[in-house]
Amino acid sequence: MDGTEQAVVNHPEIEEDSCKGCGRCVAACPKGCLELKTTMNKMGIRPVGYKGEGCIGCAICFYNCPEPYAIKVVKA
Amino acid sequence: MKVIEQKGMYQRFPRSGKDTRVTHYCPGCGHGIVNKLIAECCAEMGLQDETIFVDPVGCGVFTYYYWDAAHVSAAHGRASAAATGVCRARPDAVTIAYQGDGDLGAIGFNNAFQAASRGEGFGCIFINNSLYGMTGGQMAPTTLEGEKTTTTPFGRDPALTGHPLHVCEVFSQLQAPVYIARVSVADTKRIMQTKAAIRRVFEIQRAHKGYALLEILAPCPTNLRMDAQKSAAFCMNEMEREFPLGTFRDVEKGVGVAESAAAVESPVLQVKPVPQVATCAELFAEKNAVPPAEDDAAFPERRFKFAGYGGQGVLSLGLTVAEAARLERRHTLWFPSYGPEQRGGSANCSVVVSGTPIGSPAVDHPDVLVCMNQPAYERFVDDMLPGSLIIVDATVPITKQPPEGVRLVQWPALKMAEDFGVPKAANTMMLAALKKFGCTGLSGENLEAALVASFAKKPELGVKNRELLRKAEATES
Repeated sequence: MDGTEQAVVNHPEIEEDSCKGCGRCVAACPKGCLELKTTMNKMGIRPVGYKGEGCIGCAICFYNCPEPYAIKVVKA
Repeated sequence: MKVIEQKGMYQRFPRSGKDTRVTHYCPGCGHGIVNKLIAECCAEMGLQDETIFVDPVGCGVFTYYYWDAAHVSAAHGRASAAATGVCRARPDAVTIAYQGDGDLGAIGFNNAFQAASRGEGFGCIFINNSLYGMTGGQMAPTTLEGEKTTTTPFGRDPALTGHPLHVCEVFSQLQAPVYIARVSVADTKRIMQTKAAIRRVFEIQRAHKGYALLEILAPCPTNLRMDAQKSAAFCMNEMEREFPLGTFRDVEKGVGVAESAAAVESPVLQVKPVPQVATCAELFAEKNAVPPAEDDAAFPERRFKFAGYGGQGVLSLGLTVAEAARLERRHTLWFPSYGPEQRGGSANCSVVVSGTPIGSPAVDHPDVLVCMNQPAYERFVDDMLPGSLIIVDATVPITKQPPEGVRLVQWPALKMAEDFGVPKAANTMMLAALKKFGCTGLSGENLEAALVASFAKKPELGVKNRELLRKAEATES
């Protein structure tokens, strides 16, 4: 989504190569809208991915993530 | 639209020769979560330009690559000691020490404990993951009873290795800390409580209220041999049973200051600014005013030993001779030797004066030996070589004859000092003998000047001693 034409909706932005696949965010997400992907990142780790809907922009995933830049949250 | 993202950290981490955006922490590590919170609080409070972090040794060692603020890196266990220096040197700054349980709980416990007891003006953020992480998961003081680590493969046995160390509870016995709390980063609720507590630590430091300790229970999935979720559950279920969460003390909010501390009017200690005494250049300016030694091959090396008991002034007597040599622009060395006693133990010093650079300060065979008591005489008399001189106090019985060719002078230093009404000046009486017999090769003026200089803090005593020196020198003996 480039955000110019469609209205912004809540969603996480994931930097796959910074994710270590610990899964803390997946377990913590109150809406269960995150999952570990089946594909691998540059490091050979299965990173987290967004299921595409359900995000409420609470940023619980961000605070549970030990990595500074793996996930950030856009709240509309 | 609002974006919730990392604040207060560098965009890239140039660690270990790599340019990366990922930390060195393992997947699911509690350090990473805490690091993010600390950076966020620091940035949100606008304190990045005022904060000095003191970084530990351990898994937290690389924080200087992450947090965008000032850093000082300390040796293992010494972050609290280094932070003491930082917060005293920069009382205007916000000083935060970041330490782990191997670092603070074991080797550095006394550093941290005494800093807390003094109420130093810094905040200590203490990560407790119940083991040594970086070195491979060994038992730490905080390891739980029965917990398996690489050094307790059958579980920690208190009969063998003691019980878990409760840092917050121990520090709560101290009067000075203004804030002591234990939090956890095991789940979202606890993470948000941790953020509030970290904010509180920054608030206290921004207002310079005193010492704050924040213990954070953090999961270590790698060394617990668990995944991120199970290690977080271990934090909540096992660690919290041993280390209950809570605010043990918050003086400003009246938490934990009920009975004992109520008697103390204000346990909030302020470190007074250290007065600027002088710069090194100023301190040494006067000494530097004397030009350095000059080479003079015609002046042979002379070796002295001054011996007695501590308190007789043998060390300062040697220092006076060395100072006279310095004033005369000779090469000189003064080398004291004494036991742990401040007073009453055996003491001696060696002085070498030379026209050429000196190789060793050790004097095995003195040219001149000055003895102020019997043990000193008996210890060194056999070291004397023919042609050398011994000046011994007249009260010392000559239990041993000196080797052949050694001149022995019995000089009544103690008696003269007593007769002159200044018993402490016996060493000055000995200096009079050195001057009288001309055995130092140094001028009388410089010996006198050095004597006066040795009383620089009490000039009237310097003048008095110079008089006594001249009087003693004039005495026939």
